[in-house]
Amino acid sequence: MTDRPELYVESATAAVVTDLGRTRGPSRGLAVNGALDQFAARAANALVGNAPTDPLIETTGFGLTLRPSHDVLMAVTGAPSEPAVDGRPYPAWTPLSVRAGETVRVGISDAGLRAYVAVHGSFDVPRLMGSCAPDSMIEFGTPVTSGAPLSLFRSHPPLVNRRFGATVFDFGIPRDIGRVPGVLDVIDGPDAAEFGSGLQRLFDSRYTVTPRINHVGLRVAGYVPRRSAPGEVLSRGVPVGAIEAPTGDELLVLMRGRGITAGYPVLAVLTSRAQDVAAQLRPGQEIRFRRTTAAAATAAYLERRRLLDRIALRARTAFAALS
Amino acid sequence: MATKIEVSPCGDAALRVTVVGTGTDDVWRAVHRLAGWLNRGAVHPTVSAVPTYDAVLVEFDPYHATAEAITSHIDFWDAMPGEDEPVRSGVIDVPVLFGGDAGPDLGWVADVIGEPVARVVELVCAKEHLIRCLGGPAASAMTDGPDFPVPVPRLATPRLRVPPGAISVAGRQLVIGPVAAPSGWRQIGRTPLDILRTDAEAVVPYRPGDRVRFRPVGQVAYDGLLGTPMRYRHDD
Repeated sequence: MTDRPELYVESATAAVVTDLGRTRGPSRGLAVNGALDQFAARAANALVGNAPTDPLIETTGFGLTLRPSHDVLMAVTGAPSEPAVDGRPYPAWTPLSVRAGETVRVGISDAGLRAYVAVHGSFDVPRLMGSCAPDSMIEFGTPVTSGAPLSLFRSHPPLVNRRFGATVFDFGIPRDIGRVPGVLDVIDGPDAAEFGSGLQRLFDSRYTVTPRINHVGLRVAGYVPRRSAPGEVLSRGVPVGAIEAPTGDELLVLMRGRGITAGYPVLAVLTSRAQDVAAQLRPGQEIRFRRTTAAAATAAYLERRRLLDRIALRARTAFAALS
Repeated sequence: MATKIEVSPCGDAALRVTVVGTGTDDVWRAVHRLAGWLNRGAVHPTVSAVPTYDAVLVEFDPYHATAEAITSHIDFWDAMPGEDEPVRSGVIDVPVLFGGDAGPDLGWVADVIGEPVARVVELVCAKEHLIRCLGGPAASAMTDGPDFPVPVPRLATPRLRVPPGAISVAGRQLVIGPVAAPSGWRQIGRTPLDILRTDAEAVVPYRPGDRVRFRPVGQVAYDGLLGTPMRYRHDD
């Protein structure tokens, strides 16, 4: 054991150290990247008293097993899953005090795809433009690999006797927080008019998530609206969440790793909240798109951000009182 | 300024700002001036802008800025007298190995424009190419194309991988790709220079407004230059 706290990775399959994304990237030609379920990532950091932009672990599709060298404070959020410490289950979406040498197993249930693990004090990892978010295009990032340790900035003394469990912390988190709905809210895209009446069928049809999903995009099978306007489209910046209708029988939903420009018209755009939902969709899952307005989407988004503010405040208050 | 600005929503966290005008260069300059102003924090430090040809994608966090506030700031900017601050314009010399494995589509492009291969190379190297914007993937330099008589069609099926340093054309555009990536553009050559640097904040050594001058090199010179960092002519 070294003086510097470490999180030893006993097993990991598809996990990375990430953060909320490289927000200065798009203006310099790079994708924003970062945690695909932004709410879950923000919540994990809030629950351990970290800054919202602190690095944390994102694991996709597969669980992982971790063992800290020192006492640490962790939180697991995202895809519904119960972390287990030395084989004993503990609730997700709440702070979890882990002793040095204990084994933490984070599973991913069938109800979601991605889980987030934040550790109080966060990870010491390289950054580019202020962000540690992996970018597969430029081969930047910190993978989480079996057998390798991750450096932590701080340890954290045990907060509570775990016999009292999670009841010590009540941060007012709704019980259904990790539930993944099958409906994605979208706002008409800037090029929606080019699709004429085909746009309405986007909302009347059912779609199936294909196996072709990653951090760049999500392909969904179903009715593909066709442009009525002919001609090439000039390359323009496309937002994360843009729904494009390339030729073929699949819609493409752009995720945070997307190239920042494209020459396809933008049919509709997922709301920020729907982007978090999309991050948790699994192949084969059936979904629908539901039309909403930017005003309604912003109201829903701000409600979630205020919930995060309350969680962060309560966490900081609780830790200050306990330490 | 003979331009008009249109703002349309792009979801709940982005706006597309389109500059409408008759002169392509005026529109492009306005787009990049507006993006520069926004990226310097004119509305809020969290607001960022992606400028291309005739449009700026403005991204924001609805927690810190609203579409209404950004739109009114942009209206205000549009009403400001257009002091035409000079766009930065450095020149980058780019050696290129044309044809063969380095440019598998060179012969095809020659056929399409109805000129011999040597003339295609001559046209590509005849002028300084203005970098119009940085595009996906990975801060590729999108420039005005060579003065070909006709636009160049894209590949029907994109290649799954073109190598780093590929020089490709499509339509009336040319692109320099810093990294290996899929591409539907016609690859005519490849530069031996190292373009991408992930240990530096700038990542690529160019910005919109810079100019690129291509110079043909043979295989021996190409091999000798492999791994040399790409940089401005005046940085010697």
